[in-house]
Amino acid sequence: MSDPMKKKESFFQSDGFQSLLASLICILLGLLIGFIVLLFINPSGAAGAIGAVIKNFLNYSRAALQLKNLGNTLVKTAPLLMCSLSVLFCYKVGLFNIGAAGQYVVGACISIYAALAWGLPWWLCLLLAILVGGIYGAIVGVLKAYCNVNEVISGIMLNWIGLYTTNMILTGVKESTSPYTLHLRDYAPQSVLPNMGLAGLFAGNEYVSIAIPLAIIIAVAIKVILDKTRFGYELKATGYNKNAAKYAGMAEQRNIIVTLAIGGALAACGGAFLYLTDYELWEVTTSAVPGMGFNGIAAAFLGGLNPVGTIFSSYFIQHITSGGAYVDKNLYSSQISDLISAIIIYLCGFVGFMKLTMKKLNASKAAQDIAANNANAEPAGQDASKEKPADGSESKTEEGGKA
Amino acid sequence: MAAEKSAAVQNEPYAIEMLHITKRFPGIIANDDISLQLRKGEIHALLGENGAGKSTLMSVLFGLYQPEEGEIRKNGQKVVIRDPNDANDLGIGMVHQHFKLVECFSVLDNIILGVEPTTKGGFLHKAEAREKVIALSEKYGLHVDPDAIIEDITVGMQQRTEILKMLYRDNEILIFDEPTAVLTPQEIEELMQIMKNLAAEGKSILFISHKLNEIMSVADRCSVLRKGKYIGTVNIADTTAEGLSAMMVGRNVNFHVEKSPAHPTDVVLEVKDMVVASKTHANNAVKGVSFNVRKGEIVCIAGIDGNGQTELVYGLSGLEPVKSGTITLNGKDITHLSIRKRSTSGMSHIPEDRHKHGLVLDYSLENNIVLERYFEPEFTSKAGFLRKDNIRKYAEKIIEEYDVRSGQGPITIARSMSGGNQQKAIVGREIDKNPDLLIAVQPTRGLDVGAIEGIHKQLVNLRDEGKGVLLVSLELDEVMDVSDRILVMYEGEIVGEVDPKNTTVEELGLYMAGAKRDEVKA
Amino acid sequence: MLLLLQYTLIFSSVLTLVALGGCYSEHSGVINLGLEGIMVIGALGGALVMRFIPASTPGIFVVLLTLLGAVAFGVAYAALLAVACINYKADQTIVGTALNILGTALATVLVKAINMKLSGGDDVSSTVQYVSAKQNFVAYIGSFQFNWFMVIAIIALVVAYVVLYKTRFGLRMMACGEHPQAAASVGISVYKMRWSGVLISGVFGSIGGIAYILAGVSEWKFENGVAGFGFLALAVMIFGQWKPTKIALAALLFGLFRALSNVYIGIDFLANLNIPSTVYNMFPYIISLLVLALTSKNSKAPKAEGIPYDPGQR
Repeated sequence: MSDPMKKKESFFQSDGFQSLLASLICILLGLLIGFIVLLFINPSGAAGAIGAVIKNFLNYSRAALQLKNLGNTLVKTAPLLMCSLSVLFCYKVGLFNIGAAGQYVVGACISIYAALAWGLPWWLCLLLAILVGGIYGAIVGVLKAYCNVNEVISGIMLNWIGLYTTNMILTGVKESTSPYTLHLRDYAPQSVLPNMGLAGLFAGNEYVSIAIPLAIIIAVAIKVILDKTRFGYELKATGYNKNAAKYAGMAEQRNIIVTLAIGGALAACGGAFLYLTDYELWEVTTSAVPGMGFNGIAAAFLGGLNPVGTIFSSYFIQHITSGGAYVDKNLYSSQISDLISAIIIYLCGFVGFMKLTMKKLNASKAAQDIAANNANAEPAGQDASKEKPADGSESKTEEGGKA
Repeated sequence: MAAEKSAAVQNEPYAIEMLHITKRFPGIIANDDISLQLRKGEIHALLGENGAGKSTLMSVLFGLYQPEEGEIRKNGQKVVIRDPNDANDLGIGMVHQHFKLVECFSVLDNIILGVEPTTKGGFLHKAEAREKVIALSEKYGLHVDPDAIIEDITVGMQQRTEILKMLYRDNEILIFDEPTAVLTPQEIEELMQIMKNLAAEGKSILFISHKLNEIMSVADRCSVLRKGKYIGTVNIADTTAEGLSAMMVGRNVNFHVEKSPAHPTDVVLEVKDMVVASKTHANNAVKGVSFNVRKGEIVCIAGIDGNGQTELVYGLSGLEPVKSGTITLNGKDITHLSIRKRSTSGMSHIPEDRHKHGLVLDYSLENNIVLERYFEPEFTSKAGFLRKDNIRKYAEKIIEEYDVRSGQGPITIARSMSGGNQQKAIVGREIDKNPDLLIAVQPTRGLDVGAIEGIHKQLVNLRDEGKGVLLVSLELDEVMDVSDRILVMYEGEIVGEVDPKNTTVEELGLYMAGAKRDEVKA
Repeated sequence: MLLLLQYTLIFSSVLTLVALGGCYSEHSGVINLGLEGIMVIGALGGALVMRFIPASTPGIFVVLLTLLGAVAFGVAYAALLAVACINYKADQTIVGTALNILGTALATVLVKAINMKLSGGDDVSSTVQYVSAKQNFVAYIGSFQFNWFMVIAIIALVVAYVVLYKTRFGLRMMACGEHPQAAASVGISVYKMRWSGVLISGVFGSIGGIAYILAGVSEWKFENGVAGFGFLALAVMIFGQWKPTKIALAALLFGLFRALSNVYIGIDFLANLNIPSTVYNMFPYIISLLVLALTSKNSKAPKAEGIPYDPGQR
């Protein structure tokens, strides 16, 4: 029975609100630092440039152009959302899936190749991408579960392996005179994602496809899996306290592999979501792993590690990334958006500290309440923890990451 | 108080004095007006049960805590100790129960760490240090190879390294915190001799322990603490092990468990020659243990911490693999079954460390209550969705029946609950699984009297319903009050079986300290 | 074959330098996943010095100032990791990753800004050229191109060995990575030691960065970062079991595979195999995955690495 004396936690003390507040602080600080960098480069145009980044499609004055460019931003938001879901899903189990970037590339590769070389319909291209991406992600999981390989390092290695393999495979379906793959619209129209009339909503932007609603549906599905299913319950328990998960009889190694396989499938699905729209073509001389997966990390943390939150944070990250194209190219470069995203990820490292500070502020307010409540309760295991100080540090050591 | 006054009159030179120390924590007085006076060149034992306040007192001496009241004097002069460095400067050194040694370093490196002799430019100059260490180890009979790596040497040698660390720093006041807990009998004997040598050389030694026979054999005087209070100081020559035991435990037990005689029936748990390795120390390994638990009885595993009880439970519950031997539950061999299968076969387990194993602290109370049952059809639909309504209902039932108090009922985050209520939730969860066997490890650790009483009542009720209960406890009161049969564990073996009705705390203490031993195999 | 040796040695030098940087940081107890970013920023500092230093400057000063520029940038950048992970107990993985992404983005933005300003808006590339300055780092012994970074790597190796195993500083730092509570109990400041470890990793990471972009070419496009080299160095460090001499040997192996992609065409036997060049590009990454899979199980990582130090915990 709940104690009627205790008030219900107010909205402002809730974890959700604190996450939101922390994310907003990260965004504002990120934009501010980006602005300072711009000031440093060229003081006169800085305000205009940061404004252009924030405005993105609103840089156009005509409504139709605005809509069309909003559509373009959304086309790239869908894959970003998938990558951030991949990162988020794995992080819930305590795994840092930096390999999302490579899994995304693998998804792009399989879907483009299946479309151009085999002429498969779009849904089969999509499924193949998901399947291969899942296997690709599972490699990281197997290495982690059975060989104790740090998932960050194996993820990075697989990113580069994936990139080079993709370049090699897609060389078979590229234009003869340029390093770009063939247009799906011309050579494999059956593989282009249908738009189901969505194009009409965005001033005829034909790249706006079902990928966007699908990505949102998948985000909600991930939310449901994590919150409502037995599987999600197990994954979160393992992520929070793997010792307790073991005690409760959950299979840790299997869960690690399954989680990374799903993470890989999600990121690969993202790759297919972009390249099956024909909005972008793969350049087979690409020499750096695309930033989509890394931006996914930013979106995942900025979204407070909540799948629904990442819908908005993914849009935000893509909004400023696309907005980077509108800065005055004579003064600044479009990478200022990447800079801001990276700063935001860095600041997300401080979210734990921010929340602790907020909790302390709240706690000092509620201290008297608690004191009153504790008066008739026992001293919360004080003495036991003092008698055996090493217990805490030991369990902590086991949980700590090993490179 | 009388002892302290007469001491002041005699004006003896005390190496260190802690006078009227009081240290409070929210809701508890860990040290309540405690005085401790250590003479030069004596071995002074500090005796008390777990939770009596010994560790807190030592933390005060090392500046880890500042006492609310009282003062510390060295050679009669008042001193203030703000942090461990101050204590080091005053010549106070300590061998911690859990050694502070860098495992991949050599013995010599560990000894000089922090006070390294160097040439100009910060280069290590170990030759001199090595000579000093070798000289010290010869002087006090501390045989240890200065170039051996810590992780390769025995615990006894590691302990000698810790002692050398103090001697190398010319510490005059040496504190040993439960130094024998991790040693073999042979090593203990050697340690006793080393301590005597040290005292003979004028070092003052504070020996924290609850092993009576060791105190009797090595100490000059003994101060006793009980439940945060100072009970008294006695000369060892004027007392007996039984006398000390009485002071440590206290004559009047302030709570008693009401229970009828047990009517044990069929065997529910049968353990044969079980061997379990230990991750912490070879001494804690379970070395071929055999016993059984019958329906309708509470069997208690008594013993001093670190004698294999934790590993025994890990082996039974499946948290660690069993090296050899068999475990049979209800006639079914479960030796190699998974944790989940053991649980569904009728085993419940209240874990020793509720934060490490018992709870997912960031989960809500209701999620923690179904931690071992979430997959059952009642809580998960065929499609794999959690039946949240059922979970909520079930959680509310447990909360009601076991009086679990929390801020927001089922949705309270476990981390925000008090330890007692966390424990009640775990106890409720485990008992309500309707197990044939309940393994309860220190189920009342760190709880107040009211909560302890409630949990004891639950255990007795379960027994009266005809279930088997295996209780692992370090608390003598609990062992004597709750159990129907007592098995004493010492160094990974069961050294005695006694009936609580026909034994005394003193006798139990002798078994626990390894001073008495039956060749009993239950 | 001489070319293969030359490239193997220079890439091994880079890997040794960066892996040693990681070694200092991890021995103090902080996992430095941001080495890749530190390399980029260090390379940027060095490249800018080379780009702007007057052509008349004596060679030795060019070398020293370039190194100084790289180290100044790299150490300042490493401080970002230190403050977040040591003082604010941030997740070391998140911060390291952020620094990697930030490194490339920051370098690109800055180089583009400089190029635009200098060219009056004509040059919008992220490329820095340092053709003439680079000559100061190389010397020819016959047709073998000797690179001073090979010497620097050997010096760094000897220094690392001496510092870690022969000095008071090294002993204390490693104690902080293994058992910070033990170190604190004998009066060592764990925070100070961990800061030192991270900053030193900044020194070596940045020297490795400038060495990398000088390895084969005389201009660098900063949009490309350093192509995962910082992570290869981490793999080298793990393979080398956090020990300087073993790290050097591991670096030679990895360096050889990396060098193959540069020179395989010149080796008849390999060229005749007709393996696509991308396969050679992948080699170092595949090898490191295999090596990690085989060696991580019994990893001798510093015991306390990755765990923020909390003075309140005993």
